[in-house]
Amino acid sequence: MERKFVCIICPNSCQIKVEYENKTIKKIIGAQCPKGEAFVKNEIANPLRVFVGSVKVTNGNFKLVSVKTPIPIPKKYLKHIGKLTHSLEVEAPVAIGQTIALNLLNEKIDLVATRKVNKIIN
Amino acid sequence: MLKEKEVIIIGGGAAGLAAAVACQEKGIEDILIIERNAYLGGILNQCIHDGFGLEKFNSSLSGPEYAQKYIDQVKEKKIPFLLDSMVIDLSTQKEVTVINRQGLQHYRAKVIILAMGCRERTRGAISIPGTRPAGIYTAGVAQELINLKNYMVGQKIVILGSGDIGMIMARRLTLEGAEVVLVAEKLPYSSGLPRNINQCLYDFDIPLLLNHTVIDIKGNGRLSEVTLAEVGKRGGIIPKSKRKVACDTLLLSVGLIPENELSRQAGIVLSLITAGPEVDERGQTNVPGIFACGNVLQVHDIVDNVSLEAEYITEGILDYLQGRISESQEIKMTLGAGLRYVVPQKIFTIKDTIFSFRVNQPGKKKTLVFEEDQKLIKKKYFPRVNPAEMLRVKLSSSELKDINKLKVKLV
Repeated sequence: MERKFVCIICPNSCQIKVEYENKTIKKIIGAQCPKGEAFVKNEIANPLRVFVGSVKVTNGNFKLVSVKTPIPIPKKYLKHIGKLTHSLEVEAPVAIGQTIALNLLNEKIDLVATRKVNKIIN
Repeated sequence: MLKEKEVIIIGGGAAGLAAAVACQEKGIEDILIIERNAYLGGILNQCIHDGFGLEKFNSSLSGPEYAQKYIDQVKEKKIPFLLDSMVIDLSTQKEVTVINRQGLQHYRAKVIILAMGCRERTRGAISIPGTRPAGIYTAGVAQELINLKNYMVGQKIVILGSGDIGMIMARRLTLEGAEVVLVAEKLPYSSGLPRNINQCLYDFDIPLLLNHTVIDIKGNGRLSEVTLAEVGKRGGIIPKSKRKVACDTLLLSVGLIPENELSRQAGIVLSLITAGPEVDERGQTNVPGIFACGNVLQVHDIVDNVSLEAEYITEGILDYLQGRISESQEIKMTLGAGLRYVVPQKIFTIKDTIFSFRVNQPGKKKTLVFEEDQKLIKKKYFPRVNPAEMLRVKLSSSELKDINKLKVKLV
């Protein structure tokens, strides 16, 4: 089998062609760096993506804190994690890198904050 | 009372912050950043997706994380900034009028850095006919509402234009539980980055219809349907391709316009193609001491390049402040086949210079050629070119030496 991919790791957007049988890769053409090769290997075995979303904040100078998974997660969980973020809430202040949720879906999926939110003193 | 400053930076987004930090690192002490929002960081605050900073920080950051790296430096270096403060007037004499809660304030600076960014083209700008219901947003406004203000914009969404923000919003809305019906693009190719087509549309089975546009909008109170049509080879609508698509929300991602009202007031000459100021090799406009960087100069696709451009122009700013700019004869620049524009538009002095380009259309195996008459100055090969991706090439002072004119083309 042969499949073409556009690498999403960096703005180079390498167009990579992969020849494979079942899940065994035979040839990778077009990747400008090793990250591209690793990307297509994952795409064939188990596609991974970083989830980004937002979570409600109380008493903050922003209403929401943006969050991401610290590592890419299986693509199939993205929508489910999106739904789960609706029921999360966190109290200001929030620091970048602060853990917002742990082990979601029992799949070791964590969320960390990517925005600094200051506490508003009323 | 007129307050004097060495450098005033208009805009505290990606360009303004990087320029401020770089000025300070070059020993310029008396800097002021003026930001109209309640926080620094500009548009990066609402760009919560990752992929920023791959070049500058060698890691994939979200927009707020990228901004915070610079905000932290501004605060560490104690660079002064005004928030909730809007510049309402800029003069050729580099006088700046600011309005904020303290009232009107007047400044004068030796150097002004224009870093006001850009804004989105709207429904009015592309003249879509139809009724005027609620539910029509530009992609960036929808992004602000969802990511900063916690308002959901709709449930059944059509996106017109395949710019990066439009595609990123397609993914964001899907993950927030909305249905994105389709993305329509008038051109035969996407105006966004290929990786975004992949990870924002194809990952979620959202169709991208090339050569398609919205020709009518219907809705009483709220948007209820749009009419979609195919665009023919000569740009006209193919009548039998018309079809109605039910939706409650239309997002427009149809281009960005550098925000240059202040530049015009100051008598700055703007390029008809980039809609940003025409600048020389130092990023200086036709008004001595007024420099420009970031999206107000030319719309960028990658924020790392905005930061690099802002840092780059501070070399020229230091030269200007220290009286080291001696204008020699202008090198005439001309644009050959295949290119939409080049920045800078003029060259006065020979120094290492970074040129930015956009191509006219997608292509493979192209070479960018710099020449004087028929003499080759430099060439650079690109396996792939795309109008969505800005090209940047550096020419050294030795390559530019003894040149009277410079022609650039893509072959």
